[in-house]
Amino acid sequence: MKFLVVDDSATMRRIVINSLQRIGYGDCVEASDGAEALDRFDASIDFVITDWNMPNVGGLDLVRALRARDDARDVPVLMVTTRSAREDILAAAEAGVNNYVVKPFTPQVLKEKIEQVLSAVSGAARG
Amino acid sequence: MPRRLTAELLSDSEETLRLVDALLEELRGHDPGDDRIARLLDELTDREPGLSVLPLMLLRAYDEITRTLDVLRRSRGAIERAAVERVQHTHAKLREVSSATELAATDMLDGLDRALGLLDQLDAAARDRGDPNADDERLRAELRDEVFRLIGCLQFQDITAQQLGHASSALLDVEQRLDAIAQLFDPGAMLADEAPGADRGSVFDPAASMSDAERRQALVDEIFTTCLPQQRTGTG
Repeated sequence: MKFLVVDDSATMRRIVINSLQRIGYGDCVEASDGAEALDRFDASIDFVITDWNMPNVGGLDLVRALRARDDARDVPVLMVTTRSAREDILAAAEAGVNNYVVKPFTPQVLKEKIEQVLSAVSGAARG
Repeated sequence: MPRRLTAELLSDSEETLRLVDALLEELRGHDPGDDRIARLLDELTDREPGLSVLPLMLLRAYDEITRTLDVLRRSRGAIERAAVERVQHTHAKLREVSSATELAATDMLDGLDRALGLLDQLDAAARDRGDPNADDERLRAELRDEVFRLIGCLQFQDITAQQLGHASSALLDVEQRLDAIAQLFDPGAMLADEAPGADRGSVFDPAASMSDAERRQALVDEIFTTCLPQQRTGTG
């Protein structure tokens, strides 16, 4: 499974990728904002993990843009962000994220949310 | 600004004085038989303070205005110093701190990655020896967990960078407001340009915090599991 990790903080990208490797997902590409993520997204990407607050194209706009693309409409997206106000969470869900992780996170929480999303997506595909 | 305004006031004062002089001369040159004008002139001359002190009063007013303008000029200078020097200096310091913590976090990540590499080497060496030692394996596993935990702790850098970004943005807002106040003293004058490299984009979360992550995640889970169950059954 190939992940696209999007965050304007190089430190956070490394931490997310490190956490993914620790929980068994070693294949990752990265992007430093939404615009770069949209450029890098292709059919090989199975899962997108994105921050919210980024320059150029932010996480919310990235999700909306992905949902508007034929080749990305169904890709699972996990938002990993410091934003945790109820209206932010609802806005992210409205934009089309599959789940949401609050920073700072632990690898266990990340693993749990990825598994929940994959389970829901595969369930929906079967149903 | 003060110089221009002062010059205008001086010019106006002189013009006023000239008009008063001209009026008095005109009155004096009027028909000497007109008693009313003579009486008016007498009254004006006798009145305390009389017309004779008018130039002095105008000069005094001019002096007061000049001093007031000087105070305003110095106030504007103080605001300018506060806005341009202190605020921008503090803004630069915040950027420096943010950059330093990012570099430090990167160095720490590099070191922790190297530590993980060394643990991998220890694991490989133990396997090569063909003599597994349960205690050694447990210690290496604990050490690996500890290294991963430390890597997770470095999320502080992203969160504090957002907090610093919020503080910088607040400072820039203060600078703009001080600029606006300074311009009230002189609409024609402009303070220094925007701080170089100032980032006006909202690329930070003003509420970013290291604390209460579990409680905040619980809110997310509550929303996704109870309020938005459809979001968990597929995408978009």
